[in-house]
Amino acid sequence: MAAIQKFQFQNSPGGVAKLREKLSQTLFPDELEDATWDYGVPLQDVKRVAAYWRDDFDWKKFEDRINKLPNYKASVTVDGFDPLEIHFVHKRSSKNNAIPLLFLHGWPGSFLEVEKLLPLLINEKQSGGASFHIVAPSLPNHGFSSGVKSRGFGLSQYSEAMHKLMLSLGYDQFACAGGDWGMCIGRVMSQRFPTSLKVCYYSLVPSTPPSPATPWTFVPFLIKHLLKMYTAAESEGLARSQEFQKTGMGYYQLQTTRPQTIGYLLADSPVGLLAWIYEKLRDWTDNYPWTDEEICTWVSMYWFSTAGPAASVRLYYESLRGEFPTKSGGYVPHVKLGLAYFPKEIFRLPKAWGSSLGEVVFEHEHERGGHFASWEVPEGVAGDLQVMFGKGGGAYGAVKVDKN
Amino acid sequence: MSPIRPYTIRVSQTEVDKLNQKLALSEFPNELEDAGRNYGAPLGEVKRLVTFWKDVFKWSVVEKEMNKLPNFETTIDVDGFGPLDIHFLHEVSSVKTAIPLLFVHGWPGSFLEVTRLLPFLQESAKNHGPAFHVVAISLPNFAFSSGVTKRGFGLQHYAEVCHKLMLVLGYYEYVTCGTDIGSSITRLMSKLYPSSLKALYTNLVPALPPSPWSLNPFPFLSFLARHILNLYTPAEKAGLEYTRYFQKEGMGYYNLQTTKPQTVSYALVDSPVGFLAWMWEKMHDWTDGYVWSDEEVCTWVSLYWFSRAGVESGLRLYYESTRGDEPARAGGYIPHTKLGLAYFPREMFRLPKAWGHGLGNVVYEKEHKKGGHFAAWEVPEAVAGDLIAMFGKDGGAYGCVKGNAGYASQPS
Repeated sequence: MAAIQKFQFQNSPGGVAKLREKLSQTLFPDELEDATWDYGVPLQDVKRVAAYWRDDFDWKKFEDRINKLPNYKASVTVDGFDPLEIHFVHKRSSKNNAIPLLFLHGWPGSFLEVEKLLPLLINEKQSGGASFHIVAPSLPNHGFSSGVKSRGFGLSQYSEAMHKLMLSLGYDQFACAGGDWGMCIGRVMSQRFPTSLKVCYYSLVPSTPPSPATPWTFVPFLIKHLLKMYTAAESEGLARSQEFQKTGMGYYQLQTTRPQTIGYLLADSPVGLLAWIYEKLRDWTDNYPWTDEEICTWVSMYWFSTAGPAASVRLYYESLRGEFPTKSGGYVPHVKLGLAYFPKEIFRLPKAWGSSLGEVVFEHEHERGGHFASWEVPEGVAGDLQVMFGKGGGAYGAVKVDKN
Repeated sequence: MSPIRPYTIRVSQTEVDKLNQKLALSEFPNELEDAGRNYGAPLGEVKRLVTFWKDVFKWSVVEKEMNKLPNFETTIDVDGFGPLDIHFLHEVSSVKTAIPLLFVHGWPGSFLEVTRLLPFLQESAKNHGPAFHVVAISLPNFAFSSGVTKRGFGLQHYAEVCHKLMLVLGYYEYVTCGTDIGSSITRLMSKLYPSSLKALYTNLVPALPPSPWSLNPFPFLSFLARHILNLYTPAEKAGLEYTRYFQKEGMGYYNLQTTKPQTVSYALVDSPVGFLAWMWEKMHDWTDGYVWSDEEVCTWVSLYWFSRAGVESGLRLYYESTRGDEPARAGGYIPHTKLGLAYFPREMFRLPKAWGHGLGNVVYEKEHKKGGHFAAWEVPEAVAGDLIAMFGKDGGAYGCVKGNAGYASQPS
């Protein structure tokens, strides 16, 4: 089994000094009059946050906040690749029959997205609600986990790494919660390891319209679609999804095809990285009032990641190739699904389509929240998980727990 | 209109020092083992080019050479956007009745692309072939022309500036040679200024399949039959395959620049390494095995880095070109302007020649065996050869410009 060690994060004084020097040497572009957010992140916003990052960001606080969490590292070997050191947060419930829950982040997120959920989920005093043992890793190539050195580390490999991590912690059966890549990795994991991964909760729902092959869902879909009988929320969601496809996928097209080229920019220009990430933090959320500190925390997680920011976008390239490309799966049997719909998610499709993914045992349409739901509306996400896994919930008892 | 002034390129030493300062602070990413070119510009190449740019390349020497060219500047007013200073090359032929030819570059090209054509065109003039008065514009937002500060400067405005420049120079009728977005701009010019733009030559032929709605059903039916029965020639099949591949794998920059140019500009403006990689990837991938010297690469990149309006301004053309009244659009038959279409094997889109006939009155067409997107740079003799053939005495566009047929004595 992989040797598990406690991990303590330390700022690199040399790294911070170099960052500050680079920020001081920043060359800024100009901007068109009345550009607003239409062309990308506005100049004044980038300048403001860059100045904050250089002069006011509290590095000690950054370090402390990470180290307040129970951090560990374990060595994991994925078939065909050199061993990786996987960083993860591991918080066990005091209840022995708690459900092991693997919380997976995406891009440009991090393990830190679990920070707000922890106090809500590890609630020893409450009875009746579900209890969880939480594992929140840094994905390979992200945060404080190793970078991958060779080609072909795709969704299958990410899922294998995460599966092996959970096994090494003694969790033979577990549940998974995720959005963005976390959701995709969860889906592949549920296809590859159905005896281990029993329940998945997705905050980003990649459903497809019902197929003509299942007329009992297809005909209602067709009727609804032709007669435009979607709810207001669903119509808005469809429109938003289409708009995102049209104007919000440039970064995706680039990262899935030329990650090395964009990598040079992200590795050399902190302001460039900042703008690249900040645009998504704003565009993909539900008017979440990001503080400059939060933005810089998220960006610093990439600037000071073990593998470097350029490595993080390679998942996009690999995800379209290999054994389990992003669009694979369709209906995945044996795994119970909890689907959460957030109004400002990047794509938000009609609820009826969710049944194309698998056995849906829980479903909740939220009033607020977007792509980073665990950060924006942690009570919403925690509430979902409590209900879903609690007594009477659709996933109650689905994960067999050892009373160890 | 404003007078024409000689122009001297003069990038300040401060700018040059700033670049070197930044290059010295460069931080490189790593690279996957055996990445090759699959993930983007290879690390070894980028490092080598950056080292050359920092330690060997001397902008002052390059600038001196560029100043030997006939550089000029004029001011052109565009309604709603104010006066713009436009830099251009203007080589006047010794043959007074030479054909006025406007060369329109694209991205990441520049006016410099025309310079390789000049010796061949001059040779033609000497050898009793057609002669040309050559104008090579720096589009607004590029090289030494002004930047635009307001939103909405679309393809029709670029077309307007190009047209007005020719008028200012006294060329009321003229022909064009357009590459990359210059192809779209010149096509739009032919639509907006049909009495001026008499003939158009391009190596980027963004044709669409024949439309089912045109008056003559034959091209569409023929296309349909060929497509369904897969009756393309091997060359056409290979071309279609490559076009599909390019659409799938090579258009990330395009998708980004047409939607969020400002977001990517922060990185491109702040990181010379990043900007070089951004450009170099295209310069390599879009050409036909052309062996770029480090000097050439750094020259092209420096023209953007030291441009008057900054690298960010050129990107906005992409955003504006997909919006507004005249978005970049292939297809559509534009009458009156004679067309010369050149097909190079490593161009981004290589579509069956029959589709090109849907664009207009094709009077010249050539399928080349070598060359790519920057044909005038890679295979200047071929491009010059096309122009000479197209506009020469036996060519389909001969005599299209009244009084300027390109020969010392008027055609009988």
